Amino acid sequence: MRILLLSLLLWSSSAFAQDDHGYSARARHLLEVAAGETETSFFSLAAKIHLGRDLPRAYSILDSMERDRSMGGRFYAYTLIGTYLHTRDMLPDSLKRKVREAFRVRMMYRGDTENHWVMYYTGLYLAAQTWPNEDGTRWFNGKTSEENFREAEGWLNHWMTITSTIGQGEFDSPTYMTVFVSPMFVLYEFAQNPLMKTRAQAMLDLLLADFAAEQLDGAYCGGHSRDYPDDIINPLAAPATRVAWLFFGQPKEEKWDEARYRPRNRGSWETVFAALGSYRLPEIIYRMATDRTVPYVHTETKRVRNIIRFGDVRNPPVYKYTYMTADYALGSLQGGILQPIQQHTWDVTFKSEKPNNTLFMLHPFFSGRELAMFFPEEIKFLAGEVDRYHLVYTNPNKWNSSSPFEQTLQHKNALIVLYNILPGEKHPHVDGFFPKSLDERIVDGSGWIFCRAGDTYIAFHPLKPFEWIEEDVNWRLRSHDLKNGAVVEVGSAASHGTFEDFKAAIRSTKLRFDDFDRSLTVEYVTSGGDHLRFTYGGKRLVNNRPVDFRAYRLFNGPFMQADVGSGVITLRYKEKTRTLDFPKGTILGN
Amino acid sequence: MLALGACLLASSTGRGQDETTYMSVLSSRKHRLNASDNPVVGLYVSKDRGMTWEHRGWREYIRVFYTEAGPDGILWSACGNGVLRSADGGMTWRISTGWEITEVLKVHVSPTNPETAFGATAYGIIRTTDSGKSWCAMTRGFHRTFTSDLCVDRARPAHILAASEEGVYESEDNGNTWKLGTLRGIVVNVIAQHPLNEREFFAGTEDNGLFRSTNGGKSWHVSKTSLSRMTIYALAFDPSSPSTVFAGTYGSGVYRSVDGGTTWLQKDQGLQILDVHSLVVLQGRPSVVLAGTLNGGLYRSIDGGDHWTFNSQEEAQVWGLSTTRVK
Repeated sequence: MRILLLSLLLWSSSAFAQDDHGYSARARHLLEVAAGETETSFFSLAAKIHLGRDLPRAYSILDSMERDRSMGGRFYAYTLIGTYLHTRDMLPDSLKRKVREAFRVRMMYRGDTENHWVMYYTGLYLAAQTWPNEDGTRWFNGKTSEENFREAEGWLNHWMTITSTIGQGEFDSPTYMTVFVSPMFVLYEFAQNPLMKTRAQAMLDLLLADFAAEQLDGAYCGGHSRDYPDDIINPLAAPATRVAWLFFGQPKEEKWDEARYRPRNRGSWETVFAALGSYRLPEIIYRMATDRTVPYVHTETKRVRNIIRFGDVRNPPVYKYTYMTADYALGSLQGGILQPIQQHTWDVTFKSEKPNNTLFMLHPFFSGRELAMFFPEEIKFLAGEVDRYHLVYTNPNKWNSSSPFEQTLQHKNALIVLYNILPGEKHPHVDGFFPKSLDERIVDGSGWIFCRAGDTYIAFHPLKPFEWIEEDVNWRLRSHDLKNGAVVEVGSAASHGTFEDFKAAIRSTKLRFDDFDRSLTVEYVTSGGDHLRFTYGGKRLVNNRPVDFRAYRLFNGPFMQADVGSGVITLRYKEKTRTLDFPKGTILGN
Repeated sequence: MLALGACLLASSTGRGQDETTYMSVLSSRKHRLNASDNPVVGLYVSKDRGMTWEHRGWREYIRVFYTEAGPDGILWSACGNGVLRSADGGMTWRISTGWEITEVLKVHVSPTNPETAFGATAYGIIRTTDSGKSWCAMTRGFHRTFTSDLCVDRARPAHILAASEEGVYESEDNGNTWKLGTLRGIVVNVIAQHPLNEREFFAGTEDNGLFRSTNGGKSWHVSKTSLSRMTIYALAFDPSSPSTVFAGTYGSGVYRSVDGGTTWLQKDQGLQILDVHSLVVLQGRPSVVLAGTLNGGLYRSIDGGDHWTFNSQEEAQVWGLSTTRVK
C-alpha cells in the first residue's frame, strides 16, 4: 500500500513536473504531422484516430494492418496493443474483437535483440493485462493470460534490473533508442500495477537522461552500440533526434520535409506514443540536455550484448567517455568488439546548421566468428546472412564496424585511436570520414589536418600515409598501413580563440610516434598541456597515471551518478536531484 | 510409434510402415528476415516419403531450427522463442518454455521415456521430465555453455553427449552434471549414434571434419578421408543399410560412406547448393534421402544419394529434418 500511494503521488506530480518548454505545442505538431502521413503505421493510425481524422478510413486501415503479416511479431505486439489502448474508446466493437483475436491467431516472434524483447514483452504484458483470465486456447502461444502476464513481468523486471546495474546492451543508439522509449511510454501509460508503472517511468527517466547527458542540439554524440551508416554520417537524421526535438526542443525546428531532418526510415514515428501519453520529462533532465555552459566529462559503463560463444564472460563491460561542450562533443568507447555489426566507436560531433556534422575513423572489420559470438546460427553462414539485412556488413567502405584491431584513449578534448590489423585481414585499411560540409579542411605541412565547422576546430593527425577519396557527402581518408592510427584534438572559439590561434597551438604540441611500427606507442601533449601516452594492447597513461577502467561507475559526470551494481541512479542539476531507485521501485526528487 | 532423431533409429527395414517426415525451415533468401509473411518458413510434414509437404502450425517467422516427434506422438520444435510443443500433430502449439530459455537449436526426446526431452541451446542444455510442463537449465560443469546438438546414448540413457564449441561435453547422470570430455578445443556441430552398434558415435565438426568413436565416446579418431578438414553440419544413417552413413557439409554437398564411415564419396550430382545443413534417410529400398540446404531449399534423392533433384522450399534454409515411423 505504501508503494502504491508513493507511486501514485510520484506519478501525479511528474505530470506537472516539467515547465513545458514548448513540449505541448511540439507534441500537438507531431500528432498533426503523423496523422497526415500517407505511409501507414500503427503510430500514424493512432494519431489519426486520436485526432478524429477520417475515422472510417482509419478503421479500415487498422483492420488491414491487424491482419498484415509483413511486420515482425515483436514490433506488432507492442504497437498493436499501444494503438488499441490509446484509441479503444473510439473503436467500433467489431474492430476491438479483431484486435483481441490477433493475439490468438498470429504467432509473435520474440526476436533476438534487446529492443525486440522490450517490444515483445511490453506488448505481451499489456495484452495479458487487458484480457485477463483467459485460457491458453485464446493466446497465440498456448499460455494463459496469467502465464503470459507473469512471464512478461518477469522479463521486464529482469531487463530493468540489469540495465540499471550493469548497463544497457544496445546502449545509446541513435537509431534504436526510440524502440526502447516508445514501449516504455506505453507501459507507463497503461500498466495497472503501480510498481510496474513507476519502474516504467524510472526507465524513461533513465533512458532520456542517458541521452540528455550526451546530446548536442539533437545529435546523440560519441560512441554507440548500434547505428546505421546513414545515421552515423548524418547524426540529425537519426530517429533519436525526434526524441530530442520533442522533449528538449533541439534542434529548434523540425523541418519535416527536409531530408536532413527526416529520419532514415520514414516509419520512425515511435514518439507518437509519447505525444499521446501523460509522461512528462522531469525539469532536471531538460536542463541536463540543454545546459552546455560549462564543458564536462561524462563517463558510463555499459555492457556487451550477450556473448553466447567464443567468450568466457557473458556481458563484458563497455567503457564510454564523452567530453561535451557548447560547440562540440568528442566521445569514444574503448575499442574492440563490443557489439556485432553496427558499432560506432568514436566521433567528434559538432553543432552546425549543415548536415553531416561529424568526423570519425574506423577499421571495416567483419567475420563469421564475430557474428557467431552473438548469433546461434552456423559460423560460415552468418556473414552472408547478415549482409542480406544490413547490406553493408562485408563492405570495405562501410561506416559502422566493431573491429578487434581498434583501441582508443581519450582525455577530455583529445583522443588517440590506434589500429593493429592482422596481416591477411579482408579489409586491410582504415577509413576516416571528413564531411564536405566542413567550412575548411586543410592538410598542413606539420602533418596535421585542420578542419573548421563554424566555431568548432578539429585537428587530426594521421599516423601513416593516406589518400583522399571523394564521395557524395564526404572525403574519405583512406590509409593502407596495418599498424595505423590517428591523434585528434578538438577545440573551439571559446577555448582557443581564432582558427589560426588553434592551428598555432596544435602545431606547437608534442606528438611522438616515430617508433610506432615496433612499439605501437604514441605520446601526445595536448594544447592544454595534458600528457597522453598510449600503447596498443598496453598501457593507457594520462599525465603518467594509468587509466583504470575498473574504476568507471555506471554513470559519472556532473549530471548523472551511479555505481555499477547499485540500481540507484542520481540525476543532478545544480541544487536539484532526482533519484531513480530500481531495487526499491521509487523515484525521489524533482 | 518410434521416433527417429539424429541418433535414434529403428531396426525395421520394411516399407509397409507409415512414415512421417518433418522439415523445419528457418528462413528464406527470398524474404525479409523479420517479416511474418514468409510463405515457406516453419514446419512442414510429409507422409509420402518427402514427395509432397503440408505446412503445419505457424506461418510466421519464428526461427524454427528443428522438429522431432516423440514416441507418444508429441511434437517438439526447437525455436527462437523456445521449445514449442504440440499434442495434435502440429495443429496447435504451446510455447513450453519461459523467457529464460531462448534460441533452442535442437530438441531430442529420451529414447526410454517420452516425458523426458533435452534441448541444446545457445545458453546450454535444458531438460524437461514432465513432458514440457517445466524445463530446467542443465549447465552444471559447463565452462562455455553454447551447445548445438546432443545425443542420448541408447545403451545407457543417463549417458548424454553434447556438441559444444569446446568439444564434446559428457554427462553420466541424465544431464545433471557435465564435464568436458573429448575433442577438446574443437568446435563440434553435430553428434550421432550408430543405429545398430551402440558403442559407435560420429561427430561432425566446424573445421576438423568428421570424427568417429567406437568405444561409446571415450575416444575419437578423425576420419582421414576427403572429409578430414570439412565443416560437417549433418549426419544420417540408412535404416535399411546401417553401414551406409551420410554427411552434410558446408560447401561440398553430401558425402556417403557405405562401409560404416571408413571411406567416403562425394554425392552432389544434381545439388545446386552445396551447403547441406540437414539430412534424413527414409525407410525402404531404394533409399530415399532428403537433404536440406542453406538458401537452396530441399533436395530429394531416390537412389541413395547418387542423384538429387530439387523438391521444394525455393531459396530456403532447411535447417532440420527428422522422421517418425508408426509400426
